[in-house]
Amino acid sequence: MLELRDLVSGYGKAMVVKGLSIDVGRGQLVSLIGANGAGKTTTLKAISGLIPIKSGKVIFDGQDITNASARKILSLGVAHCPEGRHVFPYMTVTENLEMGCYLRNDRKAIADDMSRIFEQFPRLAERRQQVAGTLSGGEQQMLAIGRALMSRPKLIMFDEPSLGLAPNIVEHTFDIISNIRDQGTTVLMVEQNALAALEMCDHAYLIESGALTLAGSGRELVDNPHVRAAYLAD
Amino acid sequence: MQELLQHLANALLLGSTYALLGIGLTLIFGIMRVVNFTHGELYSFGAYAVFFLEAALGVNFFVAIVVAVIAGCLLGALIEFALLRPIQGADIDTTMLVMIGAWIFMQNSELLYWGGVAKSIKTPFPEAPLQLGLISVSWLRIFVLVVGSVLIVATYFFIDHTKLGKAIRATFQDHDTAALMGINIKGIYTATFALGSGLAAAAGALLGPVFLVTPTMGDIASLKAFAIVILGGLGNITGATIGGFILAFVEELGAGYVSSGYRDAMGFVIIIVILLFKPTGLFTRADRIG
Ligand SMILES: Nc1ncnc2c1ncn2[C@@H]1O[C@H](COP(=O)(O)OP(=O)(O)O)[C@@H](O)[C@H]1O
Ligand SMILES: [Mg+2]
Repeated sequence: MLELRDLVSGYGKAMVVKGLSIDVGRGQLVSLIGANGAGKTTTLKAISGLIPIKSGKVIFDGQDITNASARKILSLGVAHCPEGRHVFPYMTVTENLEMGCYLRNDRKAIADDMSRIFEQFPRLAERRQQVAGTLSGGEQQMLAIGRALMSRPKLIMFDEPSLGLAPNIVEHTFDIISNIRDQGTTVLMVEQNALAALEMCDHAYLIESGALTLAGSGRELVDNPHVRAAYLAD
Repeated sequence: MQELLQHLANALLLGSTYALLGIGLTLIFGIMRVVNFTHGELYSFGAYAVFFLEAALGVNFFVAIVVAVIAGCLLGALIEFALLRPIQGADIDTTMLVMIGAWIFMQNSELLYWGGVAKSIKTPFPEAPLQLGLISVSWLRIFVLVVGSVLIVATYFFIDHTKLGKAIRATFQDHDTAALMGINIKGIYTATFALGSGLAAAAGALLGPVFLVTPTMGDIASLKAFAIVILGGLGNITGATIGGFILAFVEELGAGYVSSGYRDAMGFVIIIVILLFKPTGLFTRADRIG
């Protein structure tokens, strides 16, 4: 469903992602792990059109989306739930969800989707008129996920969904993400929490200094001595 | 007592247009981080447009005001599209120079076309003021207050409740995430510049008939707009609204009780005092639109 071919991207003249090739199959949950600064966030930004791609290709659903606009890429079905959540802090919960479906015009279906999200996240329903900046970290993460779902994506990319959350919320967040995959949406997830990311995924990639060093099933990576030593800390 | 009441009434009537000027400038700065030196020229454009439509084309006064505001929006969109979009991402010096160039060009075009002699706009309102107990106010100024207030409320409604208004707020709060929502950021810039320019043109179209129309009227309007924005906090619409009324009151009282020659100096006094004591503006939440 999503293919990266020798992707090179970065900021200004500094290239951070140096020739990355990965595949995300339809309906899969794929984890991308790697140390801080390896270029995971940069990869996701390049896919979703936030930063320019120097060379290489991004193919989504058979279409070349290399350097397409963020708007175009979203409209084709790729949603990006950014690192650090990035809810709109002075907008209400409802307005944040409305922003998630900015490109849609089917009012009836939008209303249905919004009530489904409020059913799924009762905490958000209670706070629907509250501005997002006053929510707790966990609530903001739920809102960011709900907002990404509002575009009815075929593929959702999560960047560090567990970052800065309390342990019980982390588990809940991973459950939600597994659920999204179970309901048929393809997921590409970047995580620092390598063990959890490897245990829940269908396929995993390890990137180091902007390049791929290991690929395989989650199990294979968990059993790999290099991964064990460097990322699973045992 | 009567004198004080009269001053307060005058200030109230002036305040709504000052608020429009300030909201327009604060929106543009808040979203685009562009210090808009053409703001005052959009103000004088609004006034000249009403003068021209009425005196040269015989258009009805009220229709002329509506057309002037729409033309101001279009001119703003043009400035953004032709001058700012090509240099997007350039350093602040480049942007400032381009805007200063546009300001000088626009002012001199007015001077070339209409000459340096002040013009006055005829209005359909009776000359005799309305006597309200101790104070008297002109019908024209009441009209200005009403239309200015309606435009302020309409701007709030637009920003708070329309899809485009929400997209403008989202862009202001988080540029990259707004792009991830599918918002066309370049389009938002053009729309914001058009809206801010239209509000400046509206202020000029409303105040042009109250005062005289001259090619340099925009300079002092720009300064006042900057004073209002600094007073209210950059990017803060409510701050700009309140700031507009505060400036009007300070000017009116300054002119009445200090010296009428100090009227226009009051804006500078405000800027200096605010920058000395509360550089982020009187109202916190300087980082929000809406
Ligand atoms: N906006 C930016 N401008 C310049 N360099 C950046 C920017 N964001 C990240 N970088 C650099 O790119 C490298 C990779 O960052 P990132 O992709 O965020 O890593 P990860 O998400 O894997 O932790 C880091 O060295 C970082 O300093
Ligand atoms: Mg990252």
